[in-house]
Formats: sequence, C-alpha cells, structure tokens
Amino acid sequence: MKRRHRSIHRTIWLVLAVLVGLGLTMSLILRAPPEAPTPVASKP
Amino acid sequence: MSAGFCAVQWNRDKLVYDGVLLAAVALYIGTFMAVSYWIEPPKTLPDAIDVRIRAFGSCAFVMLTIILAIGPLARIDPRFLKFLYNRRHFGVLTFIVAALHAVFMLEWYAARGELPNLVVELTTWSDYGKFIGFPFKAFGVAALVVLLLLAVTSHDFWLAFLTPPVWKALHMSLYVAYGLVVMHVALGIMQYDRNPLIPAMLIVSFAGVTGLHLVAGWRERAGDRGTTIGSDGWIAVGPPQAIPDKGALIVATQGGERIAVFRDGVQIGALTNACAHQNGPIGEGRIVDGCVTCPWHGWQYRLVDGCAPPPFTEKLATYPVRLRAGVVEVFPDALAPGTPAAITVQSS
Repeated sequence: MKRRHRSIHRTIWLVLAVLVGLGLTMSLILRAPPEAPTPVASKP
Repeated sequence: MSAGFCAVQWNRDKLVYDGVLLAAVALYIGTFMAVSYWIEPPKTLPDAIDVRIRAFGSCAFVMLTIILAIGPLARIDPRFLKFLYNRRHFGVLTFIVAALHAVFMLEWYAARGELPNLVVELTTWSDYGKFIGFPFKAFGVAALVVLLLLAVTSHDFWLAFLTPPVWKALHMSLYVAYGLVVMHVALGIMQYDRNPLIPAMLIVSFAGVTGLHLVAGWRERAGDRGTTIGSDGWIAVGPPQAIPDKGALIVATQGGERIAVFRDGVQIGALTNACAHQNGPIGEGRIVDGCVTCPWHGWQYRLVDGCAPPPFTEKLATYPVRLRAGVVEVFPDALAPGTPAAITVQSS
C-alpha cells in the first residue's frame, strides 16, 4: 500500500472503533431486560 | 507478474485453498444446524428456515471476521502471508453465504405469508430515528450491497481497469461493511435472543479485528516516519552485508513513499515498495529464481530494471543506488519504471 492508503486505513479503523464500539455498547446497555419467568400458581 | 503465475487458470494452490474453504464452510453450517436441531427440533417450516438463517448469517460473520484479520496478521507476522493468497475467493464465498442468509430470510417471510411486512419494516421511516427498534435489516442490506460490489469487482480485470490505488480504496469499503454487519447483529438478533454467546461473539470478534488493524496501522506509522536525507540528497541504507541476501531493507523519505533496497549476492538495486498488482509491500518479499517476488501474490520483477520477466509487461519504478565509503546509498527521486539502476558491489 502507498502512504495515502495507509493513512486512510488508520483513520477508517479509528473511526470504526469509536462509532461501532459505541453502538455496540449502547445496544447492550439499552437491551430490554429478560422476561421474568411466569410464576407457578401455588395450591391453597 | 510471476513467470509461473496463471492469471485465470486454476493452479494447485488455489484448488487446495478453495477446497479447504468450502469444506470448512460446509462443516460449520452442518454442525450449526445439527446442534440446533438436537437442542430444539423445529416444529414448523418457518422455524426450520430460521435455523438456516442463523447458520448462514453467523457463518458469513465469522468468515468476514477472518478475512479482516488476515491482512493485519500478515503485516504483524509473515507466517500468515499464505492466507493472503487467494483471499479474494474467500471474499466471494463470504458474499455467497451472506446472500443465501438474505434469501432464507425472504423465504421465512414468504413461508409465513408476511412478505409485505418486510417492505413495511424497511420503509417505516419513523423507526430510523430510533436506536433500539432501528430497522436492523437495513444494515444487513447495505452490507450485502457492499459485498456484492466487492465480489463483482474482485477479478484482476477490474484491478487493472480501475488501477490498484482506486481498486484498493474501493475494497476498503469492506471495513464499513463489517461495521454495518456488527450493528445488524447488535440491533437485530442480540435484542431478542438472550443467548450470551451472541454478544460474546460480537465483542470478541469486533475487538479482535479492530485491535489487530490498529496495532498493524501503528507499526506501519512508525515505518512511514522516514529516514534522514544526507546533505547531497542521498539516503544511507547501510553496508552491503546489512542488506539480507535475496532480501531487502526498506527505507522511506519523510513524507515520501517507501523504497525497497534489495541485494542478490553482489547485485544491489532499489525499487518502489509498491507492487504493480495490488500495491503489496514488495520489499517484504524475497528474490526467487532471480526475480524480486511480491509476498502477497507472487508477482515478479527483475532487480536490475524493475521489469516483469517476459511475457509479462509490468514495470516498477527504480531508484539510483551507489556505494560510497562502504555504505549503500539510494537517491529518493524515482526513475521511470523499467530504468536499469542496479549496481554490482565487490564481494567481501
């Protein structure tokens, strides 16, 4: 690769690391909590 | 190009590479489906299609991750260079697997009689303003379009037609496609399937690939800082014996391109470090059969003048070299491609 491509390559991966890393973190944090198990009816 | 290289015909290395690749893909998909059927046998046709969607989708993701790891791994450790050869077939197969994932998804909607719902899902514009609830399939469609573009232009015809710098820039869009795929999974299946393997796979894969690219990029940056130029404009490379026989030392001017200074016994010559094929780092290659050989795909050039051996016609730019006070020096202004510039030094 030439100097310009190496420079673009570094920039793209830095931007991707920040954007996708942020998106991935947000999608984990904002994920809906797991459904609570349905309580089993107890006999009187 | 290499004297022993066939541009179109298959050769043994390509057949072995592709054979292993196809076997690995079949093994992954077969194992995924068998385990899924064993854990929870599908009760309906859409359930069975869903298993296929997951098998092919996860396979495409793993393949994309491996493809993106090969480049930086080869920069960090030359032992990975052999995986670089024929990587384009790997890429085309990844596109096929990803396209099948999309076809099964269409089949799933059709089997439920809900095909119009897919259109509604992709055209509910208000959902594009949400984060959770974003139409994640749009990310998948965008990534598939990029993969299609790259698969179509992967042949050497397009490489020659577009020129290596344009082709290389176009194929860098694979990085963006990977980001789209990660978000496709993160906002898609990861939101409604609580299997901890999904976020684990995403985080490990993305962090691994990103880390490798950043480390490789950082190392390359150090190599681009450049060597100090002498007062007369020449760059000192070192004594002839400092250049490995049949190998090269790479020098760079500040802000300039890299120059590969090769030694073949008593002959020393300097060529541009960018191969005419894909701008591969030719200075990291070796002299094989008397020709400088690119480590990426084996394209070859004569050390004396940078010309590919007949019948090939590619030429690399050469640089003037001289031996002064026992030190090899190179002049950083490139000569016209194909200009003889190598020198012969006395053996010690």
